[in-house]
Amino acid sequence: MSGLGTTSGPVLACGEVHTCLLPTSDAVDERAAEQLLRLRTDEPVRLSRHPSRYAVSPGLLTGVDCWMPSVTGTRSRAVGTVTARAAIVEGRVLQSSAYFSAPACGPDRRQSWGHYLVRPGCLIPVGRLPVRSVAEGFLAGPRQNELDIGPIAESLTARISRHRILDLSPPLTTADTSLRWTATPAAGGKETSVLFTKADDGLRTVELRLPHATTPAAAAGLCEDLALHDWLLTTVAYKLDGLQAGYEDSRLLKVLCSLVDHLLHLWMPLSRVDRTLHTAWEELDENSGYSRQWNALAQRIRDQLVLRAVRSRSELLTSD
Amino acid sequence: MSGTESAFRETSAEPRTEALPYSHLSLELGHLYMEDFVEGPSRLRRHFAAVRPWADAARAGLGTLNSDKRPRISTCFLIDDYFSRLSTPAELIPPLLEAAAEAGLTIDYLARESGCAGPVSGGTEPLAGSSGRRDRVELAECVLRRLVESPPPDSTGFRPPVSRTGWLTNGRRSPFQRISPALNSTGAVWQPPSETGARGHSVFMDVELWSGPEEERSWSCAFLAALWQLVRLGLLRDNGHAVLTPTPWEDKEFPADWDALAPVLRLDPRAAPFTAYVTSSVLPARFLPVEHAVRVILDQVHVEAEALGQVAERCAAEGFNVPAGVVDRISYVFPVGL
Repeated sequence: MSGLGTTSGPVLACGEVHTCLLPTSDAVDERAAEQLLRLRTDEPVRLSRHPSRYAVSPGLLTGVDCWMPSVTGTRSRAVGTVTARAAIVEGRVLQSSAYFSAPACGPDRRQSWGHYLVRPGCLIPVGRLPVRSVAEGFLAGPRQNELDIGPIAESLTARISRHRILDLSPPLTTADTSLRWTATPAAGGKETSVLFTKADDGLRTVELRLPHATTPAAAAGLCEDLALHDWLLTTVAYKLDGLQAGYEDSRLLKVLCSLVDHLLHLWMPLSRVDRTLHTAWEELDENSGYSRQWNALAQRIRDQLVLRAVRSRSELLTSD
Repeated sequence: MSGTESAFRETSAEPRTEALPYSHLSLELGHLYMEDFVEGPSRLRRHFAAVRPWADAARAGLGTLNSDKRPRISTCFLIDDYFSRLSTPAELIPPLLEAAAEAGLTIDYLARESGCAGPVSGGTEPLAGSSGRRDRVELAECVLRRLVESPPPDSTGFRPPVSRTGWLTNGRRSPFQRISPALNSTGAVWQPPSETGARGHSVFMDVELWSGPEEERSWSCAFLAALWQLVRLGLLRDNGHAVLTPTPWEDKEFPADWDALAPVLRLDPRAAPFTAYVTSSVLPARFLPVEHAVRVILDQVHVEAEALGQVAERCAAEGFNVPAGVVDRISYVFPVGL
């Protein structure tokens, strides 16, 4: 696939990432992750063990022919396929990601379907694509009869979550998140930029300007990484919200232990992000303070556990 | 000033796609039903005599495409042992080869239709969401899962998947009506089906891909024929490995059981590669509806990008113009008298 802003390449890439805890009591091993992500028999699940265990399904395509989202009301139609893939991180977190890229213009009428299938993951506009309006409309959310790729990612999550090897009793109650993103090529000589917006309803939007020739798959990879770490931080911060000092509650202890058992080791930004996009994450991290907050939360969990251990030990001694 | 270069790779994270040898053209010398074979050698002789001039024409046509090199052409013949088995290979194949030879034609590769449906090696894991009752993965099933349906206008991505219905169309079906015609005296309007991208008027087609329950699916002739085209085009892989690679067969004798034969036999050791950039099939005109269905199916198969890329690269290196779309790589002749 050619990169953003290259000749005849796409001028826009858009996607949505759904992140959730894999609905099962224990993290699954590599074999089980492979079984869950085996969406097709003829293409292997890609497995990576370093720097963390990661499994990703083959891409699935969904054909669409509809109006593109738009903020200005300019109607533009596009035809092609949306790529969707699912990934399991450390056997514990399930991510489904759907994305597409689009060139600035296309033929004035729809071509034979085979024409679109040899350009997987590409939506080709019928005529010109009002890039800015589509990008803004996509982040604002689709209106009726406009392209909506969220359900494509969601259906993948649902399909995997129904697999019989999952016992559907996760150790923690967590909220799922959706991250919707757009990427356009950065103007000549300009730096990469990331604009991350977090809404209360679990929806995050990310507006990216990326280096020339960045592939849509690499942009999707960056956003999956952002979504994973945002989900981790949100989940852990929520669990620690209102934690009462000195409050002895076995239920709370259980939550702290679950966080250590299942989530604390998952923080590893940029594990699989294209090297050229590292600055995008670093910029965002600098502004949001995500890593600093994560370190503080992780330290707090460990401190709390130590404190509780010391207290219960001293209680034991005094009762003797 | 140069930095340290380092690279870290995991093969399980970056699987390979096996490369295949390619001819320029795969020429199919006919397709017959078992009933045709029963009619005897004269039927076969008539068949190949009618095919011969068209086979020559296909060769000649290729010469103009590729001027500086001798074109590589392989011939093949598909025997239908999937829908009926009236005869044995020992009885059927030798007269077939003789009749072809009498017309001055050589069958380089002989394939069995059940090989197109049959199990492929590997892939024994049950699929996500499937019942996992069967551990045998059929090639036809792999291709079924590569179908990406052509969306009629105003499709935002919601449709019942073809894997559930078993029917594939080239457009939009008539809306389903619950009211019986007897009750429908108000004249509730019937809506016609439509072909996507039709020029003026529709030629709507709805193709049945299989019949029967999931455990014992019977794949349709059209679906297996589409698969046969993909195999000849060298565009199918199973977890990166080639499928239905030809097995050499130089014996004059053939066994009494079809299953004792490999799915694709190479009868001529000097034959050009079985898989080719483009295909041409000389078929009786009664196969026209089936082949229309084949085109409808092929237009909706998502071929692995790596396999497509390998063909594109070779063609570019040879200066051979291969159409980008898969369905544009196949051609037919339906002569009178077959």
